[in-house]
Amino acid sequence: MLSTSPLERQLQLSGIILILGLLAEGLCLLGHGPIAFMLFVGVGGILFAVGIFLYLYSLLSAGVAHSKE
Amino acid sequence: MPTFLILLLVALSIFLIGVFVFRPQVTATRGGKMTAFLALFALPLLCFGMGTSSELEHAKSTKFCLSCHIMEPYGKSLRVDDPQRLAAAHFQNHRVPPGEACYTCHTNYAMFGGIKAKLGGLRHIYVYYLGTPPAPENIKLYEPYNNRECLHCHAGSRSYEEGAVHTADPDLLPALKANKTSCISSGCHGVVHDVASLKDLKFWKGGD
Repeated sequence: MLSTSPLERQLQLSGIILILGLLAEGLCLLGHGPIAFMLFVGVGGILFAVGIFLYLYSLLSAGVAHSKE
Repeated sequence: MPTFLILLLVALSIFLIGVFVFRPQVTATRGGKMTAFLALFALPLLCFGMGTSSELEHAKSTKFCLSCHIMEPYGKSLRVDDPQRLAAAHFQNHRVPPGEACYTCHTNYAMFGGIKAKLGGLRHIYVYYLGTPPAPENIKLYEPYNNRECLHCHAGSRSYEEGAVHTADPDLLPALKANKTSCISSGCHGVVHDVASLKDLKFWKGGD
């Protein structure tokens, strides 16, 4: 399923992580207790940060590869 | 913002991101790159920001605070049928918003007070799940209750400034404002929750 192109693969990975983060957020918003709040901030926050960082990193690495060419 | 709308935005974001996961080649075009930026950066940030705001708002609710088993007696103390009990009188007469009763009195009305209150809440969760929680009647405040929290609403109000007991001693009001004499000291408004004595009391059934 993952692409052979490094840039596209990184975008796919970033997308999968962000989807997991969004699913975690959606589930936590349906919950009502402190645990839902903690999971939202902990699990959701980490997945969002990693997903967005990976996306930005893929843009940077693509830019570097493009300038070398 | 209603949770329903945030969930709708979350679903839309998942759909858009799904397009890039299953068809990453669409990013080859200029339009694809711009949509990818929207789906993989802007929308997730927006969802997280709105979700955090909604969760923080929800964390102020009385229901949220009382969802921990250990807080049940404190919730019960709000319904004691006795006007001398400070927490019950405030809750039942809507001197605090009933939906945010705990937060209204137990937040800190100073700069970064809301953040301090949230950090205190994280400490509660840590103690509740990973530490040894005390019995409800042994729960103590981390710091003595500051009159600032009472005066946030009562300062300037007629019943406070001109109340017979408050004005009987000319030194009392300045001492209260300077937090030198506590509003909840014995003989004044000393009975707040007093959860150890709930057993034999009558409770108010209204307000649901």
